Amino acid sequence: MAQFNMRTDAVDVEKIMHRIRARIRDKRGIDYTDDEVRELAAVQLERFLDPKAVRSDLVEQYQRRRPPVTFESFDNYAFEDDTIYRSSRGGFGSLVGWCRRLLNPILKLFFNPGPIIDVLHKQSEINTKLAGSIHAAGRQQEARDALNFEIFNNVVVELTKVGIEVKNLKMQIESMSSRLDFDERRARALEGAVQYRPGVTKPEPPPQPTAPATDASDADGEVARPKRRRRRGRRRGSSRSDSSGQPATPAAGGESAMGGLAGPDDDSHAGTGHGQGPDPVTPASMPNPTPATSTTPVGGPSDVERPADGLRGATES
Amino acid sequence: MRLAIVVQRYGADINGGAELHARYIAEHLAPHASVEILTTCARDYITWRNEWPAGVEDINGLPVRRFPVARERDVADFGRRSASVFERTHSLNDELAWLDSEGPTSPALIEYARAHRDEVDYFILFSYRYYHAYHLARALGSQSVLVPTAERDPAIGLSLFGPVFRGVRALMYNSPEERAMIHAVSGNEAVPGVVVGVGSNVPTTADPLRFRKTFGVLDRFMLYVGRIDENKGCRELFDFVTRYNARDRVGLTLVLVGQAMMPVPAHPRIRHLGFLDDADKFDALAAAELLVMPSYFESLSMVAIEAWGMGRPVLANATCDVLQGQCLRSNAGLYYESYEEFAEALHVLLANRELAAALGRNGRAFFARHYSWPVIERAYLDMLHRLGGDQRSTAVASATEVRPGWFARRRRVIPSGQSQLARLAAGPVRGTALDAGSRPHSTRPGRGRHR
Repeated sequence: MAQFNMRTDAVDVEKIMHRIRARIRDKRGIDYTDDEVRELAAVQLERFLDPKAVRSDLVEQYQRRRPPVTFESFDNYAFEDDTIYRSSRGGFGSLVGWCRRLLNPILKLFFNPGPIIDVLHKQSEINTKLAGSIHAAGRQQEARDALNFEIFNNVVVELTKVGIEVKNLKMQIESMSSRLDFDERRARALEGAVQYRPGVTKPEPPPQPTAPATDASDADGEVARPKRRRRRGRRRGSSRSDSSGQPATPAAGGESAMGGLAGPDDDSHAGTGHGQGPDPVTPASMPNPTPATSTTPVGGPSDVERPADGLRGATES
Repeated sequence: MRLAIVVQRYGADINGGAELHARYIAEHLAPHASVEILTTCARDYITWRNEWPAGVEDINGLPVRRFPVARERDVADFGRRSASVFERTHSLNDELAWLDSEGPTSPALIEYARAHRDEVDYFILFSYRYYHAYHLARALGSQSVLVPTAERDPAIGLSLFGPVFRGVRALMYNSPEERAMIHAVSGNEAVPGVVVGVGSNVPTTADPLRFRKTFGVLDRFMLYVGRIDENKGCRELFDFVTRYNARDRVGLTLVLVGQAMMPVPAHPRIRHLGFLDDADKFDALAAAELLVMPSYFESLSMVAIEAWGMGRPVLANATCDVLQGQCLRSNAGLYYESYEEFAEALHVLLANRELAAALGRNGRAFFARHYSWPVIERAYLDMLHRLGGDQRSTAVASATEVRPGWFARRRRVIPSGQSQLARLAAGPVRGTALDAGSRPHSTRPGRGRHR
């Protein structure tokens, strides 16, 4: 982590902690604490369960969900052969029970209690087994509900975080885009404001895709002004720049091209002969206007020989 | 100079913070003065059961006079009384009953000290909240030097301790945060005090390889030293370490040294080595990447100081003002308030060896500047000599505040300890020197602990 490379004497724990906390905020995207994200997620969860969005009574059902039935302690009855004879009267009850057993044959003259005893005994067993199954199913349902809710909640929380992150990324992209635009505009403005020394050839601007091709396009890419033939005195000792922008050495017997220099400040260039009267323009002295991509060194003999199309000044050979 | 060190427990194998602090101070002042220790027969800090015989014994060349505890602590009764004074409006009598219930109640110790006050120049009382410190501070104010070892818990908010802090001859604070807290609750700025702390016998060399071989700890690890207890923030630490190792590809092992008062999770990256002696402990510190201090409540944290003495950075819980303040003052530790900060700070320390080494160097310098034994001894001796020539503080301490009358003591008008604690400003004290700095404008609500 390059940002934490520092010397011993520069270690400042408080600053390190500030950076750590800033990093955490950046990672999180925004100044939300964990609790706030959960709160936001809870709000979204409510919306997911919004009656308008899903079902009219789902929220209410979810919130008033009854706990599943469980039979943790189930008091079943036992029905054995002697159940019908038992008495709840304690000690005296055993005598009552004995009497009832004694009178059982007479009871059977009225109805047969056997099948009733059987049925009730079986029912008791069925009750016990069923209670166990319902209890187990209730527990499973409870666990499943809790798991579902937790998964649901976690999904919503993560979605909330992702949403926040996406929003922040969008904002960052917009910010970077506007900064890029601003930088481009500034670069263009600065290039337009550049003043070149006399004799320095203004560098040709990069070719514009929509601009029409011109023979003498100027440095800032504007449409070249119509060339005027200067009628004033020739330039003396002007220095021209080659295409690299470096001031060129006075060429022996050569003119150098001014070609393409734009700008109203040409007259302020010292020693260029501007404002000294029109130069007599002869084909021999008319330098070849430097094309946009020319790398020809200025002042070469070849410049003198080529006809020129208009120029702002000519150099004396 | 004749000094008596009074502390609730004393023994070569007693490793509680305040008790160890008292023993170290006694042993290091012994070359400069005549020192005697007055303590109880208790060994267990929960029940105060009498386990040592009463009388005088010699421990490391110092006479230790033990007095029996009148009764063991009734934990349930103490819990009820604590709830009463910490959470509800109560009376001074309720507070006195709480103090009596907390213990260790040893009237014999108090009587001995009163009877022999002429044989001692100063009584250095440890731990403000216990029976002996309260009664002796009130009885022997002009001869008492209090080492409060106060933590940010509701006990500091009880009204019966205000006269103690104002009535002693001097105070030896453990940290600027402790001093600020005691000033705030008692208004005792006029009482001479100095932030001292305690030193440690940090070895000049250690053998980390020996530790690794002996205990089979071969990978990178962070160390925790102390009682493994929920009150020490260990539950949160286990949770954080588990989460960190689940997320981080490399991960880091947590090695625990100390007695476990809670279950230690069975996790491949958490190892409990039990209680180690000093040699093993310092070797472990030398082998560790850092020391982690998850505790919420500390008065000083001797183990953090030892880690800095060994040139190791510390990762501390920022909830504890003292720990955070120490990290800031030393520039030798990072701190966290949440899991994200814990993970990020840990990552910074592990990924940046240069930074960790720089923090370690700062820690070593901090230790040498403030916690080496010559510095500690000098601070104590300077204070004691200063008291000898300072008549004004004698007069102030002699005027012990009169206790309210019978009816006044029973009026239920005293606010709860929790509410008093919540009124105190929180946050670390800034400043590079232990004695400098002021409390920031933090308005974080005070947190307390029900002991």
